[in-house]
Parts: sequence; structure tokens; C-alpha cells
Amino acid sequence: MSKTTRRTILRNIALTLTAGGVLDTAAAQHVHEAAAAAKAGGVYKPKAFGAHQYKTVQRLAELIVPKDEKSGSAVDAGAPEFIDLLCSQNKDLANIYFGGLAWLDAEMRRRHGKKFVDAEAAQQAGMLDLLVEAERRERARRAEESVYERSTVYRDFAGYSTHARTDLAPGVVFFDWIRKMTVDAFYTSPMGVKDIEYKGNGAYSKYEVPVAALEYALKRSPFGA
Amino acid sequence: MSQIQRAAEVHDVVVIGSGAGGGSAVQVLTEKGIKVALLEAGPMLDVRKEFKEHKWPHDYDHRGAEEGGKFYFGKGKDFGFFTTVSGGWQLEGEPYTVGEGSQFQWFRSRIVGGRTNHYGRMSFRFSDYDFKPYSKDGLGWDWPISYEDIAPYYDKAEEFIGVCGSVEGIRSAPDGKFHTPPPAKVHEVLIKKASEKLGIPCIPNRRAVITKALHGRAPCHYCGQCGRGCQTASAYSSSQVQIFPAMKSGRLKVYDNAMAREVLTDGNGKATGVVYIDKKTREERTIRARVVILAASACESSRILLNSKTKEFPNGVANGSGLVGRYLMDTVGFGLSGYVPAFEGMPHYDTDGYGGAHLYMPWWMWDKHDQLDFPRGYHIEIGGGYGMPSVGSFHGAARTFGYGKKMKEEIRREYGCRVGFAGRGEMIPNQNSYCELDRNVVDQWGIPVLKFHFKWSDHEWKQARHMEKTFAAIIEGMGGKVSGLSAAQRESQGISVPGTIIHEVGTARMGKDKRDSVVNGFCQAHEVKNLFVCDGAVFVSNPDKNPTLTINALTWRAMDYLADEMRKGNV
Repeated sequence: MSKTTRRTILRNIALTLTAGGVLDTAAAQHVHEAAAAAKAGGVYKPKAFGAHQYKTVQRLAELIVPKDEKSGSAVDAGAPEFIDLLCSQNKDLANIYFGGLAWLDAEMRRRHGKKFVDAEAAQQAGMLDLLVEAERRERARRAEESVYERSTVYRDFAGYSTHARTDLAPGVVFFDWIRKMTVDAFYTSPMGVKDIEYKGNGAYSKYEVPVAALEYALKRSPFGA
Repeated sequence: MSQIQRAAEVHDVVVIGSGAGGGSAVQVLTEKGIKVALLEAGPMLDVRKEFKEHKWPHDYDHRGAEEGGKFYFGKGKDFGFFTTVSGGWQLEGEPYTVGEGSQFQWFRSRIVGGRTNHYGRMSFRFSDYDFKPYSKDGLGWDWPISYEDIAPYYDKAEEFIGVCGSVEGIRSAPDGKFHTPPPAKVHEVLIKKASEKLGIPCIPNRRAVITKALHGRAPCHYCGQCGRGCQTASAYSSSQVQIFPAMKSGRLKVYDNAMAREVLTDGNGKATGVVYIDKKTREERTIRARVVILAASACESSRILLNSKTKEFPNGVANGSGLVGRYLMDTVGFGLSGYVPAFEGMPHYDTDGYGGAHLYMPWWMWDKHDQLDFPRGYHIEIGGGYGMPSVGSFHGAARTFGYGKKMKEEIRREYGCRVGFAGRGEMIPNQNSYCELDRNVVDQWGIPVLKFHFKWSDHEWKQARHMEKTFAAIIEGMGGKVSGLSAAQRESQGISVPGTIIHEVGTARMGKDKRDSVVNGFCQAHEVKNLFVCDGAVFVSNPDKNPTLTINALTWRAMDYLADEMRKGNV
């Protein structure tokens, strides 16, 4: 799978397409990094969110996918722009965010006397930890309930009651929304593709499987090397 | 029929539908010098506009979630933004209904090439015993043809469309004329080791993808995106491989956006043409032809037959048997995935390959039914590897691991460590599964729509339970852990929703006796000699072999017969 072969093939494919629908992956990467850099330069004006809302979305995105030694944060990968764009196109989605962000600020004020972005980093993380924990409990409760609902033995068990619903529920629902969209934006960006080490979307004259990968997996499998 | 323009051109043959059956009919007939008119209910395919091959999610501001994030509300394109699906489970203004107590989903394509533009390209020959199922176990009916009758046409079809595979000598999976298959990926090598320990053969997959140049088509370049449509036509589609070349021959005229309503007959048992609605003008039009071929997909062809009512054919043309619409079958589907720690930390490589799995497991117990509590069998399709990160790829992992640096690390660790198994099994035709005209509903073209009724029987449920146990044993044999639904949930939800495997067949079956079938072994209507059905409707049974290759082969055989009959003046 040498580079020259790959490039030749891509060129050949491009030639067969009179409109040239194929962009070399490296070239595509370059274009998108340039676009991201322009956005990061502070020129991006939110379409759906107000300044405070957008700042909160940015902070949440940074907490959800932070920078680490391998890659940048979801903010570096354009997650806030992605969320803002889709919200600007869809009122239902925008209202989920407007409501969720307002709930989050109210809850932070109640707990810490400050809006989310103005709170200490530890307080912000503490809030997200509470939401994640509440989500886990809620999921466990639902799984249990579904088993009980299916079982006539337990349904007749009048004394049984499931865990009470948490009053963090609106926050849990909102956090799930911003988390999944942030994760999507990060991992579909050139930065995320590199972070996760996806090696595909190429073009080769021959398909080969590296021996090193096969040996690695076999050694760790029940079949040995 | 007084409105028919007398001066209208009379074509040799009119074909309705441009998928595997219509494409093959067009190819074979035009090669023989016969002039064909092709009706397609959707638009002409523009490969460059329609196929998103090689695009990245970040080539789009919405990353594939579509405008306003439709994906997040379950309203995105069926099978995702990047696939080349021009159609779907629901089409605007073209409804279908489902009877009380039934579930059925009907996938329809509306574009030249139909579902062949994006299908899985699985290309399995039926086995000898698949044509004589009744003789084997007393269920269903035998086909009027045998493996020997169709084998030369499997050869022709494979050689023409191009299929990868290997010669194995396994009775359930007859060998064919194959291109060299690509090598097994790492997870597939482990799956093969685990399955062979259980006595299940695991062999190179058989897909309609070429690995050497064929009729001007470039060999596969291993981007793995066949579902998006293949710009180089290295993966077979009837549009690029059969219809476009036929258009160049000058013997094919394509009428797109032409929604067929009924077959016209002359009152003396002969078809004279087709009435269709021109979708652009909403005008009713007529095409006259010496021969009419229905290839609109099993249920759509049946709908046209049922809607073609005359004094001579009060139950619909060619439906003296009353069997049109009856014995609708889909494939039995069940899936299970697992997490395999052996892949954690493995050096990543490109697992896209030739699109879909490089190995599969054919049915292995055809002579061991005394050990089973269900008839017939299934094959196993496998999945795994490092998929292109897309919207939704990591939602599950994110929910499991919360947020932050830990989530990031866990996503890296888990990526590429899952394997998936999909069983594709044979359903026994039953009386409770059929489609009929809904007397109360018409589509936006004024054509009465179909109403579906469907029930899995115990045969199918028991087969799905066998799949589940088998897949779990393979996953555990690899040192993996079954993930997803709990055992209790699998027990109650563990079979595909009827229709969703998109192998619906059987609604105008072939047979020797006109009281017991709609068409003969050459796909020719018993009651109307110049009317043919060339799609899954003619299937007598629905073996665990995906239907497309058999539709190609049956059609080729039928068209050879038709050309002969036309030459002799019999049709």
C-alpha cells in the first residue's frame, strides 16, 4: 500500500470522473484545518446562541472532550460551531439547548450562587459528575423496570418500588444532548479522525493486512500465536 | 382503452423496473438486438451527484447529521446521510398500509438501478436442495426448476457482473466463477478460528465486487464504501453495469419518473402494453409493446398485477390461481455483537477492505436436521474493524464513560474491539404472510396501494434462538463478551421486524401447474404468454441466500427463452 500507488490510483479515479469528485485525503485535511483555524481566530459569530449561551456551550464542549497529550479539545475541533449551526436550522433543537443551558445556570446559582461559566472549574466538574451519576442511576432503574415489567412474578409483587426519579432529570437529558453532539463533532473532525487513528477512506491497487496487527491480536487471543 | 394514441410506437419489449431483474432483462435483450423500453418510477441516476464515495463527515458542516440535525431526531436518511439510498421505508405520497396485528416494513427505491446501487452485494448461489425444499422436509413447495437448470445462468451472471469468492466444495454454498477475494482481516481470522472450533466453516465472502478489470470497469480500490454507490462501478449495480451500456447501444429507451399502474390486455389473453403515470406532468400515458416484463420488485410487481383488472382477469391479470400477493417471505434476521479485549491496543490499520466482510459462514447443518428444532438454515455475516468515525459512532461509549479525559481514553481503547454477527435465515412461506390491495387507499398517483399482513411462525423464532446461541458461542470462543441486550430482552425482541432484511420475495411464485402458481419456470405468466415477471416475486422459497444473484440468473434464463420464443413467433 505504498503512497505512490495510492496517489496514482486516486489520480486515476479522478480522471474517470469528469467532475473530479475525489479530493486527496491529505489535501482535504489541509483545507479543513485552514477553515478551522479561521474559525478559531475569533471571527465566528454564533447564529443561534447569545454570547453568554455560546460561552457556556464552549465551556461544556471543552469539559466533555478536553485537550490531552494526544489531541486538542472539542472546541479546537469545531464542536460549538457545529452545535450552533444545527440549532440555527432547527427550532426544536435550539429549544433543547436554550432550556438546558438555562436550567444549568439556575441549578449552579442554587448550588454555588454563580452561573455555570462563572463557577470554579471544580464546581463545574462537580455538576457534570452529578449529572453522570444521576444518569447511571436512571439507566439502572430503567433496566430493572423493564425486567420487572416483563416478569409476572415481580409485577404481582406489590411491595416492590423502583428508585425515585431524580430532580436532576432535565439536566441529565440536556447533558446527553450536548455530549453526543460534542463527541460527534470531535470525532468526525480531522483532529478526531487522527486521534482515533482511523486509517481508511483510501484507495489501493491491493488490499493487505499487516502481519504485526494479526500477530498482536492472536497472541492476546485464546488461540495463541 | 379508446384513449390509446393509434400512432404510438410499438416497442418489442417494455420492462417495468430497473433493479437486478430489470437491468438483467435490458442487458440480455438489447445484446440480442431487441428494442426495449424501460420504465423507472424514479429519476435517472446521476452518479456524480448521487454517490458520496470518499467524502468525509467533515466535508459537510452538518457532519452527516443533516440540516437541523435530522439524524438526532431519527429523521435522517435511511442507512445514513452518506449512503446512496434514493427511496426508503416510507416514500412521500406513496404509502402502504399494514393489517392489524401485523408488522411489516417495505423498502422501495425510486431511481434508475433501484436497490442495486447500494445493496450489500452478497452473491450466493442457491444449493441443489434449495430448489426442492418440499421434497426434503415436506414444507412449502418445490421449484419447477432444478439447480442444473439454473447453474449455467449463475455462471453467466457471475461472469458478467463479477463476483469474488473461492472454490470450497461446500454443498450449501455451490462454487461459481469467481474473482480472487481479498485476504481476511485480523478480527475475521480470529472469528474463523472460533467458528471452526465449533465446526462452522468460515470462508471468503462472495460479493459482487471485482478485483480485476472487467468490461471496462476498474477493479476495486478498497475504500469499503459500496453502500454509497461505487463511482468506478467496481461493485455491481444494474444502472452502471447493465443499463448505461445498453443505453449506448441505441436499443434502449428509458422512461424515468414513470409510475406503472397496470398491464393492458387485449381480451384474448395477450398483454398489449402498460399504463403509467408520468410523475412530472401527472398525465396518464400508455406504452405499447409485444412483450411486457414486470421487474418492479416482488411486491410492486404484484401490485401492478392486482391492479390490472379486466373482465377476463377479475382478480388481476395472470391471477387465476389467486396466488398473486400470497406467501410473502422475508429473510429471518438476528444480530448480536460482542467486545473482544484481544484487539485492545492493536496497531490500527485500514479495515475498510472491499466493503463488508471478507469472510462469511455458509450454513453447515443441512444434513443434521435431526439435531435441530427448526427446518432449513441460515448463513452468518460478520462485522468488525475500525469504521470511519461518523455521527453516532461513539454515543454508546460516551454514555458509558461519562465525559472528560477518561472518556477520551476509553473511546480510544474500545475503538475497533467490537465484532458483530448477523444471521440470515430461511423463512417457511405461510398463509398469514401476504399483501393485497387496500381498497380504501390510493397513492398520490391515484393507484390503489398495498396492505401487508405478516407473521413469523415458530420455525423462524426457533431458528433465531439457534443463531443467538451460536453467535454467543463464537464471541466467547474469541475471549470476548456478548454486549447489548440482556438475555431476557433478546428472548422477546430477538427476531428482525418483517421486511427489514429487504429480501421480500414470493408473491407471484413459479410452478408447473397454473392452479398452483402464477408463472412457469421461465418466469412467464401461465395465463398470458407475453407477460413475464423477473424479480423476487417468482421465488417459491426464500433460501438463506440473498436473492439478488438468483434474480439475475433467473432473468437471464427467462430472457434467453423469451428471445427464442419471439424468434419462433410464439410470443
